[in-house]
Amino acid sequence: MTSRRTLVTAVAALTVVGAALAGCSGSSGTAGGATTGTLSFYTDKAAWKPDFESLNATSKKDADITVKTTGYSDANQYDAFIKQSFRTSKSPGLFTWHTGDSLKQLVDDGLVAETTDIWAKAVKEGWVSEDLRTSYTFDGKQYCVPMNIAYWVMFYNKKTFDQNDITVPTTWDELNQVAATLKSKGVTPYYQTSQLFTFQWFQHLVASTDPDLYKGLEDGTVKYTDPRIVDVMNTWLDEEKKGWFSDAGSSTDPAVGLKQGDFAMIDFGTWYAGNLAGAGMTTSDYGMFAIPAVNSALDKTPVAVESGPLCVAAKSSQKALGLKYSEWWMSADAQSAWNKAHGDVAFNPKATVSDPALAKIGTEIAGPDYQLYDRFFEAMPTAVVTVALEQFGAFAANPGDPKPFLQKIQDAADKYWASQKK
Amino acid sequence: MTTRTATTYQWSARGFVAPGVILVAVLLYLPLLWTVYLSFTHYDGLGDPQWVGLDNYVEMFTDPGFVGSALNTLLWVVGTLIVPVGVGLAIALLTWNLGGGIWLRLPLLIPYALSGIGVGVIWSFILSSGGALDQALAAIGVTDPPRWLIDAPLNTVVMIIAAAWQGVGVNALLFTIGLQSIPKEPLEAARIDGANGLRLFGSILWPMLRPLTAVVVGLSIVASLKTFDIVWSMTKGGPGTVSETLALTMYKDTFVNSDYGLGSAIAVFLTIVTLVASIIYLRQQLSPKNEI
Repeated sequence: MTSRRTLVTAVAALTVVGAALAGCSGSSGTAGGATTGTLSFYTDKAAWKPDFESLNATSKKDADITVKTTGYSDANQYDAFIKQSFRTSKSPGLFTWHTGDSLKQLVDDGLVAETTDIWAKAVKEGWVSEDLRTSYTFDGKQYCVPMNIAYWVMFYNKKTFDQNDITVPTTWDELNQVAATLKSKGVTPYYQTSQLFTFQWFQHLVASTDPDLYKGLEDGTVKYTDPRIVDVMNTWLDEEKKGWFSDAGSSTDPAVGLKQGDFAMIDFGTWYAGNLAGAGMTTSDYGMFAIPAVNSALDKTPVAVESGPLCVAAKSSQKALGLKYSEWWMSADAQSAWNKAHGDVAFNPKATVSDPALAKIGTEIAGPDYQLYDRFFEAMPTAVVTVALEQFGAFAANPGDPKPFLQKIQDAADKYWASQKK
Repeated sequence: MTTRTATTYQWSARGFVAPGVILVAVLLYLPLLWTVYLSFTHYDGLGDPQWVGLDNYVEMFTDPGFVGSALNTLLWVVGTLIVPVGVGLAIALLTWNLGGGIWLRLPLLIPYALSGIGVGVIWSFILSSGGALDQALAAIGVTDPPRWLIDAPLNTVVMIIAAAWQGVGVNALLFTIGLQSIPKEPLEAARIDGANGLRLFGSILWPMLRPLTAVVVGLSIVASLKTFDIVWSMTKGGPGTVSETLALTMYKDTFVNSDYGLGSAIAVFLTIVTLVASIIYLRQQLSPKNEI
């Protein structure tokens, strides 16, 4: 009797442990083919969760779908989670990701659902530009849909400009004149940092000097040690030596810095309007302009664009539901609702942009005088981006001969492109 | 009958031990073995790992960045021994016999309640360019202060001081416990013989503190070898990689670059170094021949 009882205890204990472990890998979710219901949505933009969920009323009405959002605030942890989820039946019905190299990896491994039909419809309806489709195209097919887009522009403090009788520059020479004037009046022209957002000035200098040079860095045909890239870095170095950039070691929130007038301009994505609003600035306090091209001979001014995708896992139990929501997401109604909830410019030209300043710059940049190129972060391979961000940060902290910094980036690029040939 | 009872007892014992054993095996041993396996593969987190033999280890040891991280980690080990352990011992020695000494030690324990990230955030506020310390220095006329978090190796040194701010209290507490547990007789005998100050410390207190010192130093070595949170929150290892430690390099390779193989190789290297350092040190310190 005792023996049986102990055996039962042992088996029960093992069962509990087994059940706990099985819980880690069990399947769940809506039945495979359902196209209405509650969709599990994962994102690394935890702060945007209320914005996403505020769309539920509209999506319920239009498509009979609501999303249940799980937000991660650590991007690296999120990426690892999503990658691991592909190994289980719990791969997400909808998740945010990154364009460029990161998306290519998922497509190459057949992990994300194709969205070619959705794109065909969206282009036909005039919901999206043909340009944007290229960021989502691999071997002629499309994968994922754009969650958002943002243009990388120059934000400026209107009061600082007014006090120093400065008007918005429209050429590279005018921009340099603005910087020189500000500096002579004791105002630091530009913000810079040594961590994460260290790439934007480099990307603008390269792409607006020669868009093909930037393309060459993207596909590995141009080396970071190329004399033309060294020249670009020397332009940056010159500006650093003139004291045109803020202290790279400061940890003051740049939005607060711009508000206080610590510096006059800051090169960021249009989403930064939200950060400035958070710091208590309104569009009467700050303005935006497309950064003039270094090379005045270019027909169109290059502007960096970033676009974050919404993807559906190919083997998700909610694949049909995720794709249905993706299709709805691209519509003008959905994008107007999203814009109202979240702000920023819209990828859908038929959507209503709530913020007049963003609407104005969005329309301007989408017009014929500008040419979009992919932001450095997505355009270059991830392993190169990591090293480049570190090296640009080190350069901003200790401006000097750019060659050692460029050599380190090129070493990472050599390693990456060699691994691609294997 | 006896045999039967013993078997029943054994089965019963195994049943109760099994959940714990399984949890340890699944949560500790399996991940360790998996990490060792991954270190011999190329794996980007998708698909299946591909066996590449020793490639990751070759790449790791030939990377100048790895050497820099290893040197910074060494600086952390040495710095942590000098500052939090040394200062902790000094505080314990100066206050353990003092009436109300606890009130001097107690405030030093408060930072221990903070997470490493919290400590990093507070010290970033103080040490970043134009931060609290620079403003205080400007108030007394120092207009060109050092760039605390920018210039190497100064940035690592100030981060060690930040870590010391957090760790010194607990070390002082441990040393105080050690001092209080020393029997009174030999101390009194030494005092009667005229030993005081350094002489008393060198001949009596230090040798009798040895078992506790061994534990405190051993724990400090392990903690400093895996330094991550405070560096991540203060400099992210930068500018560039000048303040990166091995734990940061491991994290960046694994989770930022999705190079799980290389990250695992660094993890294995760090594990071996930590184990070897701990075993050698503790064996030497706690061996019977060192006991008095």
